[in-house]
Amino acid sequence: MAEVSLKGIKKSYGRVDVIKGVDIHINDGEFVVFVGPSGCGKSTLLRMIAGLEEMTEGILEIGGRVVNELQPKERGVAMVFQSYAIFPHMTVRENIAFGLTIAGASKQEKEQKVAEAARILQMEHLLDRRPSQLSGGQRQRVAIGRAITRKPAVFLFDEPLSNLDAALRMDMRMEIGRLRRQLGTTMIYVTHDQVEAMTLADRIVVLKDGQVMQIGAPMELYHEPANRFVAGFLGAPSMNFLTVDVLDLDGEAATVGNRALEPIRVATRRRPFRKDGKAILGIRPQHLRAVQSGKGMLHGVVAHAERLGSETVVDLTLRDDRELIAAFNEDKIFQPGDALELAFDTALAHLFPEEG
Amino acid sequence: MASKLTLSNRTGWTFALPGFALIFTFIVLPFFFAIGLSLTNQRLLSPNPTQFVGLENYRQLLGFAVVTLEPERDEAGEVVRDEAGEIQYPRLRAITRSDDYPQYRGMREWFRWQSGENVMVVIARDVVFMKALVNTFLFVLVVAPVQGGLALMLALLINQKLRGISIFRTIYFMPVVVSIVVVSLLWRFIYDGQNGLLNSILQGLSFGLFQPVDWLGDPSTALPAIMAMSIWQAVGFHMVIWLAGLQTISPTLYEAAAIEGASKWQTFRYVTWPGLRNTAVLVLVVITMQGFALFAQIDVMTNGGPRDSTQTLVFQAVERGYGKQDISGGSTISVILFAIVLAISLIQRWLTRER
Amino acid sequence: MAFDPDNYGLRLFVRYLVLCLIALIFIFPLVFMINSSFKPDNQLLADTSSLRAFLPVGDISLDNYFGAFRRAPVALFVLNSVLVTGATVLLSLLICSLAAFSFAFLRWKGRDVVLSIVIATLIIPFETIAIPLLLLVSKLPWIGLEGLQWGWLNTYRVQIIPWIADGLTIFLFVQYFKGLPGELIEAGRVEGASWWQVYYRIVMPLSGPVLATAAILKFLVMYNQYLWPLIVVQQENYRPIMVGLGYFFQLNVAWGEVMAYLTLITVPVLIFYLFLQRAFIASIASTGVKG
Repeated sequence: MAEVSLKGIKKSYGRVDVIKGVDIHINDGEFVVFVGPSGCGKSTLLRMIAGLEEMTEGILEIGGRVVNELQPKERGVAMVFQSYAIFPHMTVRENIAFGLTIAGASKQEKEQKVAEAARILQMEHLLDRRPSQLSGGQRQRVAIGRAITRKPAVFLFDEPLSNLDAALRMDMRMEIGRLRRQLGTTMIYVTHDQVEAMTLADRIVVLKDGQVMQIGAPMELYHEPANRFVAGFLGAPSMNFLTVDVLDLDGEAATVGNRALEPIRVATRRRPFRKDGKAILGIRPQHLRAVQSGKGMLHGVVAHAERLGSETVVDLTLRDDRELIAAFNEDKIFQPGDALELAFDTALAHLFPEEG
Repeated sequence: MASKLTLSNRTGWTFALPGFALIFTFIVLPFFFAIGLSLTNQRLLSPNPTQFVGLENYRQLLGFAVVTLEPERDEAGEVVRDEAGEIQYPRLRAITRSDDYPQYRGMREWFRWQSGENVMVVIARDVVFMKALVNTFLFVLVVAPVQGGLALMLALLINQKLRGISIFRTIYFMPVVVSIVVVSLLWRFIYDGQNGLLNSILQGLSFGLFQPVDWLGDPSTALPAIMAMSIWQAVGFHMVIWLAGLQTISPTLYEAAAIEGASKWQTFRYVTWPGLRNTAVLVLVVITMQGFALFAQIDVMTNGGPRDSTQTLVFQAVERGYGKQDISGGSTISVILFAIVLAISLIQRWLTRER
Repeated sequence: MAFDPDNYGLRLFVRYLVLCLIALIFIFPLVFMINSSFKPDNQLLADTSSLRAFLPVGDISLDNYFGAFRRAPVALFVLNSVLVTGATVLLSLLICSLAAFSFAFLRWKGRDVVLSIVIATLIIPFETIAIPLLLLVSKLPWIGLEGLQWGWLNTYRVQIIPWIADGLTIFLFVQYFKGLPGELIEAGRVEGASWWQVYYRIVMPLSGPVLATAAILKFLVMYNQYLWPLIVVQQENYRPIMVGLGYFFQLNVAWGEVMAYLTLITVPVLIFYLFLQRAFIASIASTGVKG
């Protein structure tokens, strides 16, 4: 078990900077998820921790040891790959025992550890099969099995669920959660899927363009996003952003409004705004309520509605022709063209500076 | 700071070294040897020390000139004719052995043609080499398109969906796995002037009208006979390359063409052929390369004869370098051959470049 | 009705007829060879004027085979060829795949330069370097049981070692290796495998198709060697089969024996080919990928 510490990590290919100075400290036994859109550098970061790619700058410590120059095998990490990377020419048993075979473990030790991994992953009956005879979910288990037999200090997961179909993905997600509680090892998990991030992580690291946008517990990020990117990235449907005019400023709050929005007071959370300038108001679709005519803060017309049964998602055109998404957690019927007034708890709204 | 992490200099070199050392020693080194030797007068067993002679070997091989022979005239200035009325010309020796023309010394007649009253004679320092050069080019110029074309036709034939088609593919490819030496020997029987199978077959087909030909013994038929056999032997090889090319063409293109109502020819012209462009270049280049390396057929079937009509560059290189132990002469021919091959692969690069 | 151009059966018949006629063209010399090997010389030569040349008729016996063995040390030639071919193929697979592994997966100083030299040798035909190579091998040293010797002529090694590594084989391996999923190699590394272990535990077991291709191409080249042994081997002890043919053309040529010898050295390859024809054809097709 080990802490992982990334200090001022940078990576560039020639003149192109892919990772632009990343500092993250991961505690022993913590489950950290790196999340971000494709190309944000999350996989590169993970591969650098694994020792598959070198860093251009910075210091990487695992268990208090600088590992910058160490080969993957010397770092005490195990990795589960997106494509599972299980060896097609070996049986499940041989795959799981691969690391032990390489380390020259005795037959007895191998048997015992393979049995243990198989028990944890409930795949005792699959041990003598070839990978080609396994389903996607089973292959994923083999890959995880191979990773856990060596009892590594740190587990690395590179988008392990992205090749699975939706139903299986949920099963495996829960399984990984269970595994995590069982093993208690430090885990670093890369995904582009915010649901995986929200459900699995102790802490989430949101990345964009090779930079950390925010680090924190899932609910912290959801409720208190540090910036517009994080606010928009987490939550589905994503947060609405409205360009508003700053009508007034006082110590902790600003009064904002526009043609479609009645003036409201929103906490500034110490972000800089200028009176008579512009600002971005963020409201999650789930925080909007339909209200009686005359009592709403936002005025719009229904453009399109999707009924999901548990939820109804409405696409509105506001008075100023902007679009807005509202999600109501009940089944309701809307017709395109219906006028709709919406209200929300201003304490749940966020105000961001216009740029960034 | 390219770190030790992903840079494995020692392992990399260790793994690559045996292979690279072998290639370097047995291909790269001899290649530069060839260039070096071609600039000397090295012989395999020679009492004299080897000397640097510059481009002399190339001059010896490539030197040629055109001389004009004017008819012999009598005192009256009339053209002298023999009894048959043929114009009489001075003998070529009068020029090549004359002190007036030191630059032509030692040259021999290669070929001549009539130009009005005069005769133009091309003389060369090394007529056998010149014949080998021309034969090699002739071989490539005939074999490349014919073999490539026939191979494509076979590939189209084999690409049909018919029961048992793979049996035919197997048979058409069969000569490729048979040694060219074996094939050449068998074809000596086919081409034989007396008991040859080819003569028998042609006589049978023409009900005895066909006059037997000594295919390999006649200077006018020897090279074509070797060409035909070479085409026969390797056409299956190129059929397979064409087949591989055909299989890269998406079936949906053919379906689209069928829906648009294209005829068989139109389908070939607008779907198949454009998809085979790179394959075509490859096939031609491979045939060309194989053609320039023509050796075993000659060695087994004709030894360059009759009357040097089947001399080729490689055969000459081996005959001089090994047979006559004239290492530098053989090397010079090799270098010339390499220059030709290099030019062709540069042309290939240019033809298949990304646009 | 019979000449209805749309008649499916007729069209099919014509197609097969064409295919069969072409097949005859490709097969008749081999049929002639095999049949002739069983006939005495005078009948063999007489039969060429008729279709009997392609039929096992008349005075059929194995005499030519016995004659061939009496005339030349056939078993020795075959043994030499098998030995040289087998050794070269095996060493080539090992050494070329190791080099290709290094080019495909490892990063090292000078790699790109070395790889481009290797690829550049693809355009050097063997025939252009045969003569200087002859000069070179005649002067190379060798440390054997008898101590240091100079010159490689008249040995097995001169027939084997120069043929082990070549650009095409390495190129085929590199192409294949680059097509393997990179994560398999990375998984091996993370699990603690050394590069050597990655090579023989992961990459080699997955390389069946390219090993077959490389082996077949090398086999064809080596088994059919002619020019090279012709110039570097003068002693009968080391001669391979194709050069051994020369024995049958000294003094009076016995054509029946020639045919018997040709059949002996060709039929095993043909049988080998018929069993593995898919692999043979795939290997030739894969050389076409290099364009």
